[in-house]
Amino acid sequence: MPVVTPGWYMTLAAVLFVLGMTGVLIRRNALVMFMCVELMLNAVNLTFVAAGRAAGVLDGQVAVFFVLVVAAAEVVVGLAIIVAIFRRRETASVDELAALRG
Amino acid sequence: MIPEAFPEIAWSALAPELVLVFGAVALLLLDVQRKPGVKVLWGTSLVILAIALALGVWQWIAATPDAEPIFGGMLIFDRSAALARLVVLGVSLQAMVAARSLFAHLGNRAAEGLALVLLAAAGFILMAASQNLVMMFLGLEMGSIALYILAGIAGDGVRSDEAALKYLLLGAVASAVFIYGAALVFAGTGSLDLLRVAGFFARNLVLSPAVLLVGIGLLTAGLSFKVAAAPFHVWAPDVYQGAPAGIVGYMAAVAKVGGFAALARVLLSGFESFRPDWAPIVAGIAALSMVVGALMAIISSDIRRLLAYSGVAHAGFILTGLASGAQGSSSVWFYLAVYTVQLVAAFSVVSALGGAVSSGSDLSDYRGLYRRSPFLALVLSVSLLGMAGLPLTTGFVAKLGVFLWAWRGDLEWLVVVAVVASAMAIYLYLRVIVIMYMQSPADDDPVLCDRPTSWALGAATAVTVVLGVFPQPLLKLVESAVYL
Repeated sequence: MPVVTPGWYMTLAAVLFVLGMTGVLIRRNALVMFMCVELMLNAVNLTFVAAGRAAGVLDGQVAVFFVLVVAAAEVVVGLAIIVAIFRRRETASVDELAALRG
Repeated sequence: MIPEAFPEIAWSALAPELVLVFGAVALLLLDVQRKPGVKVLWGTSLVILAIALALGVWQWIAATPDAEPIFGGMLIFDRSAALARLVVLGVSLQAMVAARSLFAHLGNRAAEGLALVLLAAAGFILMAASQNLVMMFLGLEMGSIALYILAGIAGDGVRSDEAALKYLLLGAVASAVFIYGAALVFAGTGSLDLLRVAGFFARNLVLSPAVLLVGIGLLTAGLSFKVAAAPFHVWAPDVYQGAPAGIVGYMAAVAKVGGFAALARVLLSGFESFRPDWAPIVAGIAALSMVVGALMAIISSDIRRLLAYSGVAHAGFILTGLASGAQGSSSVWFYLAVYTVQLVAAFSVVSALGGAVSSGSDLSDYRGLYRRSPFLALVLSVSLLGMAGLPLTTGFVAKLGVFLWAWRGDLEWLVVVAVVASAMAIYLYLRVIVIMYMQSPADDDPVLCDRPTSWALGAATAVTVVLGVFPQPLLKLVESAVYL
């Protein structure tokens, strides 16, 4: 039976990160784009934990707490902005936000 | 395992940031308790910024190049961090003095806006002083999240909330990219502390640097977004155009100072031994930024988009200095210090002319500005000439320094690109000046700006000209801030 080393987790995290990045690039709903950013941040968390385990230090797990807190703060502000936009225009699609162009 | 001793906390080293953070809380409480007028709140925020700046000057005198890390290795206030702090606080004060009409317009949201301004300044200072990549991320987010809200704080225009959403979505991606880069560096070296990372490279021979190189690339990409360097600049024109005019200059300036200080620390302090790997990438980003920024600015018909694209070009010039290595970082500091002053001054003029929250900033509005307000036309001209890098302005000394260090750093091709880009930039800034002085205005109504705004603008103009003619004091200052 193959042993699951931290490297496997880091590979999985890399896949998740790319998935999240792709999602942000191709999805057009602001809420879904936000969820994809969260996926990217969770991939970062997985990398931190796996790398910390591999190096035998606690720094990786400590870093996860900070990333979690920052992600929560970002979501608070993001959802507030999306709600403000939705109230005014009844849409959360970024394609319809095109008042700014040169 | 022996428990580590609780790290000694040098609170006094953080005095300016503590003043900013507690000042922000005090402003919010004052607003809830007493409901003072906007003028009182605005005045209080200026006093807080002035106290922080005074403490920052005191810290600058106390700072030494071989400063010890504080807070268990999280922060380090060496000369470069102390200088970044002075620049952030200085331009914040400059921008806030000129922003009274914006906060008057915000009414009962003024206290929130002012508190966010103070918090963002503290965040970017902490980012500039971070020794640890997670701390850098926290400083970056503390500043950025405050800026996302400030971009949408006007709340009564379609453009303001659109700018906020675009800034937030792209900014969140950039932050995720940055912290993933930090995670990969951690995976490669087992440490997040930049000094220990550098020490790791000194002790070990890295056999397979692929993970580390990706990590360095992601850190650079994330920070390039924050400073609006091409190809990570697409958000800048939209955000600069949509956010309230009274705050855009501040937003752009502090994010650039924090971003470049962090980039310099990551590349020059943490990954100096990887310079052969990252220098071509940074030089490439610099060349692309200068060319794309200058070209797009020339075809812009809106002054805010023009300033945004010219900001992209300036990010390229600053990166040129960065690519030339640790010695060149003195030119980076000089450039940042003088460019942010010009940027804030230019946006203050935009705000005075078009209104602090309105989004009207078409170039045609500037026709014959000379007749409507000679003072504003003069201030904008001096700022634009400074950005163009004409002799007798600070911009000339800044560009010269960057070019010289890049030349000495064997980046001759980049200097050629930079000189061509500055020639294009001269055309673009002169175009605005010609519009202001040579064309006749649509209406002859004089443009009025309040007294604090004229003080701030007058001071910025004086700095641009006087330091342009006698740059030695500032040059001496920045030379002590290089990474060695």
